[in-house]
Amino acid sequence: MTDKNTYETDLSVKFGKISLKNPVISCSGTFAGGLQYSRFFDISKLGAVTTKSFSLKKKDGNPSPRIWETASGMLNSIGLQNEGIDFFISTQLEEIRNLGAEIILSIFGESAEEFKKIALKIKPVLKHLKAIELNYSCPNVKAGGMAFCGVPENIRTITSEIKSIIDIPLIAKLSPNFGPVTECAIQAKKGGADAVSVINTVTGTAFDIDTYKPRLANIVGGLSGPAIKPAALLQVYQLAKGKIIPIIGMGGIYSWQDAVEFLIAGAAAVGIGTVNFSQPDAGEKIIAGISEYLISKNINSINDIIGKAL
Amino acid sequence: MKLLNGEILANKKYGENLYKLEVFSPYICRNCLPGQFINIKCAYEGMLDPLLRRPFSIYEIDKKFNVFSVLYMVKGKGTDFMARLVKGGMLDFIGPLGIGFKADEEIKNYLLLGGGIGIAPLSLIAKELMETGKNIFFLAGFKDEAFFLWERDLIKIARNYKIFTENGSFGQKGIPSVYLKENMHLYKNYKLVVCGPKEMLKNIQGILRDFPGIVADALMEERMACGIGVCMGCIIKIKKSPGGFEYKKVCTDGPIFNLMEVIFD
Repeated sequence: MTDKNTYETDLSVKFGKISLKNPVISCSGTFAGGLQYSRFFDISKLGAVTTKSFSLKKKDGNPSPRIWETASGMLNSIGLQNEGIDFFISTQLEEIRNLGAEIILSIFGESAEEFKKIALKIKPVLKHLKAIELNYSCPNVKAGGMAFCGVPENIRTITSEIKSIIDIPLIAKLSPNFGPVTECAIQAKKGGADAVSVINTVTGTAFDIDTYKPRLANIVGGLSGPAIKPAALLQVYQLAKGKIIPIIGMGGIYSWQDAVEFLIAGAAAVGIGTVNFSQPDAGEKIIAGISEYLISKNINSINDIIGKAL
Repeated sequence: MKLLNGEILANKKYGENLYKLEVFSPYICRNCLPGQFINIKCAYEGMLDPLLRRPFSIYEIDKKFNVFSVLYMVKGKGTDFMARLVKGGMLDFIGPLGIGFKADEEIKNYLLLGGGIGIAPLSLIAKELMETGKNIFFLAGFKDEAFFLWERDLIKIARNYKIFTENGSFGQKGIPSVYLKENMHLYKNYKLVVCGPKEMLKNIQGILRDFPGIVADALMEERMACGIGVCMGCIIKIKKSPGGFEYKKVCTDGPIFNLMEVIFD
C-alpha cells in the first residue's frame, strides 16, 4: 500500500481559497465524523472529511424504512437525522481533530434565518475548519433542503449572508433535481461561494409489488451510487465547461477510475459517498489508485489531468 | 470490528432455500459475542450489484478450529450470490458488529423464542447460556420443514425445547406465540430472548403486557447500508418517557433491545 509520505506524484489541489493534500473528500452523510472509519484506515489521508449535515437543533429524521437498494444504487430518505450543531462543536469536532483529518463542516438550515444562526454558533471554531459546505440540496426534508435549488436566487442571498458572518471558504452543495445546476452555481458564485459540490442525490422511489406499498416510508428518496454516475458526470462536465466556479464532483464514485473520470471532466476535487458503506477503506484505496495512475502515465501533478476531457 | 477476508470451508444446503456457510476466521472466533453480526459483501471485487453488504448474525463459533458459521435463507440478490459461494473461496466481511448478548448473573432461567431464521442468533445465545450454567427452554416456530436439519444442531446444545410448524410437517402443528400465551404462567421467573418476524415480536409483546415485570430481549432486524452506525438507515422506534419515542440504530445501539420498549408501527 502506498503511504501518503511516499507518493511520487503531487496530489495536492487548490481551488478558490481551499487547498487540499489530495482531491479525495468524503461526502456528507456517508462518513459521520470519520470516527467509525478510523477503524479501517488513517482518515487523515483523505483530502478532507465532510461531516454529516448539522442543523440548528437535533433532528430525528424520517420514519423507517429509510433505505432501499436498487440496481447498482441506493435510495435513502434519512431526513438529516443529526444531533444538532452544538454536538459538533462540543464533541465531534474534537474527535475528528484527534484523528488528524482536515474538516469540511456541512450545515443545513430550514431557512436563511436558521443558516445564519448556525453560522453565528460556529464562529468560535472556524480556525479548525477547512471550509463550510452549505447543504442546499437534501431531497428528504419538508422545509429547506433541495427546495433552495428550485429558486436559485435563494442560494445567492443565503450564501452572501453567511459570508458576511463568517470568513471561511464556502461550498454550496447543489441538487440535480431541477435540471442543469448551472444557474444555481452562478448564484452560489455571486453569493461568494468558493466551490460547489455537484451532485447531491437524484430523487426516486421504489414499490413492493406484493403489498403495493412504497419501499420507503417517505415514498421519495435520494438515489446514490454507481447508478447515478453518468448523470453526475455530465453535470460536472457541463458546468466545468462554463468555467463558472470550482467543482467538487460527486455521484456514484466507486473506484479510482471513477474519480479520475470526474477529474478529467473538470472537477477540482471529488467526493466519495455511498462507496464508504460498501467498502469502508475506499478512501485510502482511491487515493492510492489515483497516485499509481499518475505514475503509470508519467504525470507529475494531479493538476495536469484536471479538465483534460474539456 | 475489522474488514476481513476469511476462507470458505463449506457452504452446505440445509433445507429448502436454507444454507450454512462456514468460514475460517480466528479474529471473529476470538472476538465475537452471541447476538453480534457481520456485514457480508455479496459481490465479487469490482461488481456493483448487489451494491450494499448484507448483515447476518453469527450462528456457530468453533473456537478450537477458528471456524464460525452463518445460517441464511436465500431471499434476494445478495443471498442468491452467497448460495453460489464454494469451498476454498474467500468471504469479504466486516465484523463483529453490534452489541453482543451477555447473560444476566441474577437470572437462572431463560426462554428463547425464535421464528424462522430468527433461530440463528438464538442458537449461539443458547450455547452461551448452557455453558454458563443457565437453564434454558427453546421455543421455535417455522412455516414448514425447511429447518428440519436445525434440530440436529439444537440437540447438541439443549434438550429442553419445542418446535412448531404452521403446516405440522415438522415438530408440532401450531405457532410458538400461541403456546406462549397459554403457558406463560409457567415461565414467570424466566427471562425471554426473542428473534423473528416483526409480527411475531409484536404478538409476544402483547402477551407479555399481562405479565408485568417480565424481562424480554428482542434481537431486531432492519435493512442497513453500513452496519457501523453511519448511514442511519436501520433505525427503529424505542419508547422514551413520557409518551414519546426516539430512533435507535439496530446496527450499533442494538441489535438487542428491550422488547417492551420497541414501538411497532
